[in-house]
Amino acid sequence: MTKTSPVSADQPLRVSGGVFTLSILQLENNDPQKLAQRIAEEHERHPAAAAFHRDAPVVLDLSVIPEEAPLPFAEILQVLRAAQWLPVGIRNAAPAHQVLAESLHLPILRGQSRPAAQIPESPSEESRQTIAQDIAPTGGLLLDHPVRSGQRSYARNGDLVCLATVNAGAEIIADRNIHVYGPLRGRALAGVTGDENARIFCRILEAELVSIAGLYRTLERDHPLWGKPAQIYSQNEQLHITPLTP
Amino acid sequence: MARVIVITSGKGGVGKTTTSAAFASGLALRGHKTVVIDFDVGLRNLDLIMGCERRVVYDLINVIQGEAKLQQALIKDKHCENLYVLPTSQTRDKDALTVEGVTAVMDELRKNFDYIVCDSPAGIESGALMALYHADEAIVVTNPEVSSVRDSDRILGILAARSRRAEQGEEPVKEHLLLTRYSPKRVEDGEMLSLEDVKELLRTPLLGVIPESEVILQASNQGIPAVHMGNSDVAEAYKDVVARFLGEEKPLRFIQAPKVGFFKKLFGG
Repeated sequence: MTKTSPVSADQPLRVSGGVFTLSILQLENNDPQKLAQRIAEEHERHPAAAAFHRDAPVVLDLSVIPEEAPLPFAEILQVLRAAQWLPVGIRNAAPAHQVLAESLHLPILRGQSRPAAQIPESPSEESRQTIAQDIAPTGGLLLDHPVRSGQRSYARNGDLVCLATVNAGAEIIADRNIHVYGPLRGRALAGVTGDENARIFCRILEAELVSIAGLYRTLERDHPLWGKPAQIYSQNEQLHITPLTP
Repeated sequence: MARVIVITSGKGGVGKTTTSAAFASGLALRGHKTVVIDFDVGLRNLDLIMGCERRVVYDLINVIQGEAKLQQALIKDKHCENLYVLPTSQTRDKDALTVEGVTAVMDELRKNFDYIVCDSPAGIESGALMALYHADEAIVVTNPEVSSVRDSDRILGILAARSRRAEQGEEPVKEHLLLTRYSPKRVEDGEMLSLEDVKELLRTPLLGVIPESEVILQASNQGIPAVHMGNSDVAEAYKDVVARFLGEEKPLRFIQAPKVGFFKKLFGG
C-alpha cells in the first residue's frame, strides 16, 4: 500500500485557530421571496458586487427579525445559494431562531447584541442554575459563594461581582466588568458581547485565562503580578495587565 | 430525625469506602443506629472493607427492583451492635439505580435509622449523583494533591446545585472536608500540599485529617473498619472525626511530623 501522507497515524490531529473576515448580510424580513428580489435588484445595480459576492461565505444577521416571526430558514438558505452566496452562520438571532439554525447545522456566531437562548456550549445543569439566580434589576450578578471547578456564572447586561474565590476550572463571564474579591484562579471573561471598555478587577490574580471583548491571554506563575491586586483592560487591541493601586 | 451523609470525592482511590466504613462504625460505636450503603454499583467494595462479603444475599438493586425486601438486604455488622450494611450489586450497572427506587429506599431507612451513610462511587456520573442526591450533609474526602483537590472542588459545586436540597430550595447540604492519606513528613519535604494549602483552595470547614498509614491496608485486607484497629493513629483520627461530626471540640492530631530524637538520629530508627 502506498503512503498518502508522511504524517504517521499516532501523531495527534492538528487543530489550530484562525481569524477570518466574513461578509454579513442584514436580513430585512422573514420573506424569502422579498430577499430573492432584493438580491436580484442589488446585483443588477452593481454587477461588480455580484461578481465579488460569488461563492462568498456570508453570515446572516437576524437582529431585526422579531422573536415571534416565523422564519422559513430552509427557503432563505435556498435563495442565498441560488444567488451564489454560501451562508456559513447566523448572528443576533432570537432564541427560537437559534434553535432553528442549530437544527439546520448552521453555526451561531458571536457578536450577539441579543440575549442568547442560553449560555453557548453550556456544559451542565449546575452552571445554568447559577446564571438564573440573583440577577439584580440592573442586569448585574453578585456571587457571595465560591465559584467551583466546572461551574460557570454569567452576568448578562451588567457587571459580575464575586465576593468569594473563583477556583481553578471555574469560569465567570460578564457582558460588562468583572470584580473578584477572593483569589481569581479560574477563567474570567469580561465584555463578552463586544464591550471593549469592560475591565477585570481582582485582588489576587492567579487566573488561568483573562479576556476582554474576545481578546484573551493565559497567565503563568511567573507573571510579575501573580497573586497581586490587578486590573485587566484592553487598549488598541491589546490586553494590559496593570497593578491595581488606588 | 435521620440524617443522610454522603461520603464523596470526585476522584477515585482517595479513601471514600475506607472512610464510609470507619465513619459509619464510629457513629455506631457512639450508640447511634447507623446504616452504610454502597452506591458503587458494579464495583462492590464496601462489603469487603466491612468484612461481610460472604453474607451478601440480596442487595440494594434487588430492593429497588422489588425482588427483595429492605430487611432481607440489610446485613448486621459483626463488630458493632447498631450498624447495618446495605451492599450493592456486583453484576448490574449504574443504570439499575433509579431516582424513584433510591428515594423509596431512603424514605424507609429514614424511619428506622439515626444516620444513613452513603458511600459514593468516584466520578460525577449518575451513580455519584444518586449517592449525593438525598444528602443532608457531605463529607468530601480529599488527598493532599492538586488533582484530588480539583475534583473535590467540582463535587462541592455539584452538591450545591444538584442535590435534593438544592433543587427544592432548602437549606444547602452541610459540607465537611476530610483530608486523608496525609503525611506531615512529605508535606515538610514539599512533596504534598499542606493542610493550609488545601483549606485555602477549597474553603470548606475541615472535619479532620487522617494520616497516611499502613494500618489502612491491613484493615482493608482483614475486612475490619479502620476505627477498630487498636490504638493506631488512623483509628484515633477517625474517632476524632466522628466526635467532631457529633459536635464535640477536638484538637487536630497527627498533622506534625514526628520529631526524630537525638539518639534515634545517631543510631538510626
